[in-house]
Amino acid sequence: MATTAKPVVGKTKRPNIPAAGIQVPAVRTFEQVDDEILATLKPSPKWFIGLGIAIAAMLTGAAAWTYQIYWGLGNAGYVPPVMWGVYIITFVFWVGIGHAGTLISAILYLFRAGFRTTIYRASEAMTVFAVMTAGLFPIIHIGRPWKFFWLIPYPNWRLLYPQFKSPLLWDVFAISTYLTISTTFLYLGLIPDFAVMRDRETNPIRRRIFAMLSLGWKNTDREWRHFAKMYMFLAAFSTPLVLSVHSVVSFDFAMALTPGWHTTIFPPYFVGGAIFSGFAMVWTILIPIRKWWNLEHYVTLNHLDATAKVVLFTSIMVGSGYLSEFFIAWFSGVAPEQEYFWNRVFGQWWWAGWLLLLCNMIFPLSLFSQKLRRNPAWLWILSIIINIGMWYERFVIVVPSLSHEFEPWQWTHYAPSWIDMCFLVGSFGWFFMWFLLFIKQMPVIAIAEVKEIVPPRMKNDHGGHH
Amino acid sequence: MSTESGASGVKRRDFLKILGVTTAATAATGCSTDHVRKLIPYVSNPDNTVPGVSNYFASTCRECATSCGILVETRDGRAIKVEGNPNTELNRGALCAKGQSSLQGLYNPDRFRQPMARKNGQLSPVTWDEALQLLATRLGEVRSKGQAGSAVFINQHEAGSFPAFLDNWLNEYGMPQHISYDADAPASAIAANQAGYGVAWPALDFDAASLIVSFGADFLDGWGPSVPLQLAWADARAKIDGAPRAIYIGARRSLTGLNADSWIACRPGSELAIIQFLRGSKPVADAAAASDVSVATLEGLKKEITEAKRSLLLAGGNAADSTQVAIEVSEFNKFLGNVGITIKPAAPLGVYQRLDVTAAVYNVSERMNAGAVPLLFVRGANPVHTLPKSVKFAEGMAKVGFKVSFTNVPDETTELADLVLPDHHGLESWGDAEPTAGTLHLQQPSMEPVFQSRATADVLIDVAKKDAALAATYAMKDYRSWLIARFPGGQSAHTVALAKGVASASSLRASERTAGELTRTPVAGFAGAGDFHLVINPSPTLGTGSGANKPWLMELPDPVSKIAWQSWVEMHPMALKQLGLVRGDLVTIETAAGKATLPVYNYLGIRPDTIAVSLGYGHKSQAGRRFDPDGDRRTPFYSGYGRYAEGVGMNAVDLVSGNTDALSGSIAYSSMKAKVTKTGENTDLITTEGSARQHSRGIGQASTLAALVAARSQTEGAHGGEHAAPAAEHGAKPAEGEHELGPKEWGGNEHAFVGGAPTEFLPGLKSPVANDAQGDLGTQDSKAKGMYSEQHWSGMAKRRWAMTVDLSRCTGCSACVTACYSENNIPTVGASWQGRALSPTVWDTRPGANILKGREMAWIRLERYFEGAADADNTFDPGFDTRFVPMMCQHCGNAPCEPVCPVYATYHSPDGLNVQVYNRCVGTRYCSNNCPYKVRYYNWFGYGEPGRRQYAFPEPMQMQLNPDVTVRGKGVMEKCTFCVQRIREAETRADLEHRPLQADEFTTACAQACPSKAITFGDAADPTWTVAKQVEDERAYHVFEVLNTYTAVVYLKKINHTVEA
Repeated sequence: MATTAKPVVGKTKRPNIPAAGIQVPAVRTFEQVDDEILATLKPSPKWFIGLGIAIAAMLTGAAAWTYQIYWGLGNAGYVPPVMWGVYIITFVFWVGIGHAGTLISAILYLFRAGFRTTIYRASEAMTVFAVMTAGLFPIIHIGRPWKFFWLIPYPNWRLLYPQFKSPLLWDVFAISTYLTISTTFLYLGLIPDFAVMRDRETNPIRRRIFAMLSLGWKNTDREWRHFAKMYMFLAAFSTPLVLSVHSVVSFDFAMALTPGWHTTIFPPYFVGGAIFSGFAMVWTILIPIRKWWNLEHYVTLNHLDATAKVVLFTSIMVGSGYLSEFFIAWFSGVAPEQEYFWNRVFGQWWWAGWLLLLCNMIFPLSLFSQKLRRNPAWLWILSIIINIGMWYERFVIVVPSLSHEFEPWQWTHYAPSWIDMCFLVGSFGWFFMWFLLFIKQMPVIAIAEVKEIVPPRMKNDHGGHH
Repeated sequence: MSTESGASGVKRRDFLKILGVTTAATAATGCSTDHVRKLIPYVSNPDNTVPGVSNYFASTCRECATSCGILVETRDGRAIKVEGNPNTELNRGALCAKGQSSLQGLYNPDRFRQPMARKNGQLSPVTWDEALQLLATRLGEVRSKGQAGSAVFINQHEAGSFPAFLDNWLNEYGMPQHISYDADAPASAIAANQAGYGVAWPALDFDAASLIVSFGADFLDGWGPSVPLQLAWADARAKIDGAPRAIYIGARRSLTGLNADSWIACRPGSELAIIQFLRGSKPVADAAAASDVSVATLEGLKKEITEAKRSLLLAGGNAADSTQVAIEVSEFNKFLGNVGITIKPAAPLGVYQRLDVTAAVYNVSERMNAGAVPLLFVRGANPVHTLPKSVKFAEGMAKVGFKVSFTNVPDETTELADLVLPDHHGLESWGDAEPTAGTLHLQQPSMEPVFQSRATADVLIDVAKKDAALAATYAMKDYRSWLIARFPGGQSAHTVALAKGVASASSLRASERTAGELTRTPVAGFAGAGDFHLVINPSPTLGTGSGANKPWLMELPDPVSKIAWQSWVEMHPMALKQLGLVRGDLVTIETAAGKATLPVYNYLGIRPDTIAVSLGYGHKSQAGRRFDPDGDRRTPFYSGYGRYAEGVGMNAVDLVSGNTDALSGSIAYSSMKAKVTKTGENTDLITTEGSARQHSRGIGQASTLAALVAARSQTEGAHGGEHAAPAAEHGAKPAEGEHELGPKEWGGNEHAFVGGAPTEFLPGLKSPVANDAQGDLGTQDSKAKGMYSEQHWSGMAKRRWAMTVDLSRCTGCSACVTACYSENNIPTVGASWQGRALSPTVWDTRPGANILKGREMAWIRLERYFEGAADADNTFDPGFDTRFVPMMCQHCGNAPCEPVCPVYATYHSPDGLNVQVYNRCVGTRYCSNNCPYKVRYYNWFGYGEPGRRQYAFPEPMQMQLNPDVTVRGKGVMEKCTFCVQRIREAETRADLEHRPLQADEFTTACAQACPSKAITFGDAADPTWTVAKQVEDERAYHVFEVLNTYTAVVYLKKINHTVEA
């Protein structure tokens, strides 16, 4: 992906990235790449504080889980028939977050989108940790978590198999496949970087570990050729997963006959929402990182601008999903469906309904402004707004539907309890704990790929696609 | 035969002796399960005991005076279920919620475990010897002082020989006859019956009537002998053609009112004006002015009554002039010629024989306060709770020399006693009752006493034996032998009769008391000031409060308001709007007698100028002791009315002045005026009601007779094809103003539903065999192709278990709910210690906290939907209709819950059941999300796990658990199983007896208990079963039919008998 075009120097306000082909004008040499990116691996007091907070939050969740396993789910805010609550909402939320990473690393790779290079590692790591977080919630949410393995088809003398018709079982497969692929993909991309770290490491033990992790990478042509093929193959392999995983997650709802769930629009609308929330989370993470670790010349405003356009696009996609849901409810003529959607915006749940419309449809419209697209502070604030909005989107899907179903006698309300909140906090703790550990062990920006886009020391001795 | 013993050195006889002694010793030390470590099988079984097989004892229910016949199911020596005795004419196998809950009186964790005597101001345990000695001594003292004539014995009213036995005993000691007190008795009606018909309670023949008019006679709310009345009502209404039309007159629409076809909402206290108008002694204008009912309505009523072929006019009520109204009504009945046809004084019920008026207890209180009562006995009755404060009963008790209580659970009166001699529970006692002349219901113990209680009759005999002068009179061994001795035919005949529970014999009759000593305080009009009339009604399930220590009854939502574990005040939405109140706002109600703060419940069925509060709640310890929900729940709580009643609601009798209805000597509850003021606070109503409106979703459907008749002729005319006409053409037009969603509004079109399923299956089951539509969803061939082949190896596929619920019969009484709790070990979740954690250390200890979170577990619930009166905020419209819908798992042939369970914990059995496998369930709760009927319930806590905080069966309540049904642990889903344990038991029994299963051989717990016989269960694939015919009924429909769930529960439409225009 490297190119021989001349770097654009100076403060061009709006360089045409694909045409210019130059993304990181302030990065000149390979040594600079190695030095600057590896410098992020040095633990700082700020990092320790961050990790401490994350671990404390994670322990809150762990304590809550211990408490919940002992007492039962009754301390959570469930009000039957709202049998799914914060746990499932948070599950879908994290699965959604997990989508941007693979989209960026695989789909954008296949599409040759230049802006992915500096952001893909962080978002891919985010994917793995988000899916790891999400994967916990189905277990947290079930009544007897110690029997979770019954959802896995394993041979047993009782000849009991899981019910393959159940979307929850599809979830098990979808999530575990996705976790496997995205972890493999992340690791694969890390191999050349491990080699760099091995070469620069002085501690013999760490050196040995990095040597093993880099699988003895010697930077030969043959290795690069195999690497590129494998990378391409896995990118192609994970591309359908990006679409399928959240489609499968949406089947949890779409396959049920609950009003508000039973709709064919869910798979695309969930995927769109997932990418939307995933990019927002990328901002939430990367904007502070680029600032605090002095990586602003790697993750440039151009990159942010490009991601902002994706966010704007997916926001419009999600927004039209919302609107078409309302339209279809009206158009279907099905009274329970209509009553449910009325209830969503003008009834019992009006505040949640408007919150999500505001956060996911209205605020992202600000990205039509180029000024705001290139304003990291605004993007970060917007990313928080979108994260909240997307959490509430899942809330609006899960809770109001269940609280306002076919049987009016069982219409009810719902409010999360303290233990639900502990799990929500704990999930962020768990996620950021892994992420913070990650950024101190492995380069948060792909060294090898950045090197591909900086002007080469020698003429075309590597990279390119000829 | 040699008497040499075997090698063991124990002779057979010795062994039996030892067995007997050890059994007695075990019984004497109670049935604690604390130290059971090993299970040792019986070497030789005690009588009739086969492990795993139930024994049934016919007995008599003692929860109210009606004395229904019951069958007590026992397993391994423990009573586990109470059902109606099908051999009796009185209740024909049906039993109300209260009667079924008698088990929770038997196993109440707060029951007195041994006699108690007051030492240093505290009730402390003593032995029976000490207790009896103390009683004998005190009796002797009183007698020697010559004060015996001033002693008082207040007994909870009961029918049978015991009252007479007691009077004889009192007489021997020179004490006056006992006072038979029943706070729940329909006093005004009894007094009027005696005045009008000469009997306390004539037989009422609803079936013979074409019009039933009730002046506040709440015969479906526990007024009078409730189960027999409900059976009679339901049978009459189920005729459909020629069923009686019912009109309810009163300021508040009670459960009875909700079941009536019309409601004439008269001003409280104006019933007299209406009956006087009807009898022609008052001009219509005066009556209309007094009652706030239009002249047209009153004239219409008069016309209907005079034109009706046979009518039945009933009057109840508990206001100051209720008896006067009732007497006028009885005169009118005579005038109309109803006596002897719909009202049969010639066949009276004996249940209110020898009942004393409440004023007699007033009198006792006055004498006690004057220091004129040296000795007071109380048995079962709880005057401290049930009498107005102004009567000062508790204060009076303090001035009594010695107070003895025979009550076996703590209550407000017993708490003040000096000596507690706990009586056996009704299920542990011998006795009898004569509900109708010449028919004796026998009572026998169904198990060894749970605790060291002793039958009061036996105590009386034992005490008498200590007296040399009386020993000869009381030479009998015990009360049982006395009963047997006077039974015609003696021991052998008695034994034979016991098996049936009914015999042609009479109980010993007590002589009626002379009426002269009653205080009568006539009061006219409404006492006090205020904008609202206050109506106080006994709770349909708790009466005046006697069931409040039983969690089944506390958890059972009030059939009208659907509120549980709480007191509330009913106000019309218009009144709420005027006062700027919303549902759940706390208001202060102030009457001349007292003040209370209660949450408001917006009720359509009450006049805007009236408020209503239900009796039954507000038990509290006199000493102010509180049950500690965080503390030890194994220790009995000997205070107040026990742990379950404590802190629940307020006692409505505190709002009542001591005035009485002059003619019946009963408390004039509903003759008060009340001031209602807003407190500005709001609380959550502990209710199971989501929306009170069914939003045209056709859950509880109704039709009119005219529409039904029209449909019949149409069906006959158009009956060319094999299929009956679809519902839309069925002519079963919805009631006026009601619009039920057509297939189109459900998203389909007129002729085919989504998936192409034809509508023409209706009526009846979608698929008459177990092979439901899962195989070929929605095609006409679905009858033939299904999940299971008819040749399935299990042989079960030939059956299709199904149920019908006749909404014309269902009154909403909710007895089925309690039956289900009892049969299926359903935990109650509303007790103060069962709430959730508000923080890691603080628990929500409000009673009913779990129900606020919708966690009630009732597998069958009674939905109560209103139709009409849509603009209740602005207008008062008494013309609304009520639909009671028992909703349980519909056992769908095409069940949405089944495919979504990832672990096959719920699946379809070959005989058409939706099976829930608790052991396999991991608790994803997806099944519940996908259930359109919302009939799946989840164990949020370890309600069924001993040792857990939320454990629902504190010792010894766990003894009630049905061993056939798993007690569910936390984290699993549960739901109605169609009583699968009963199905399998019946199948196994038939197998063992080498015969096929017979039609209607058994039924589910709800169907068994139903006092309206509204539920029918059986095999719909076998045409010999009743249910197979019922599913083909012209009124049949499925709930949410358009969802293609192919339910196995078929509802039969309610028929409203409207006036022909």
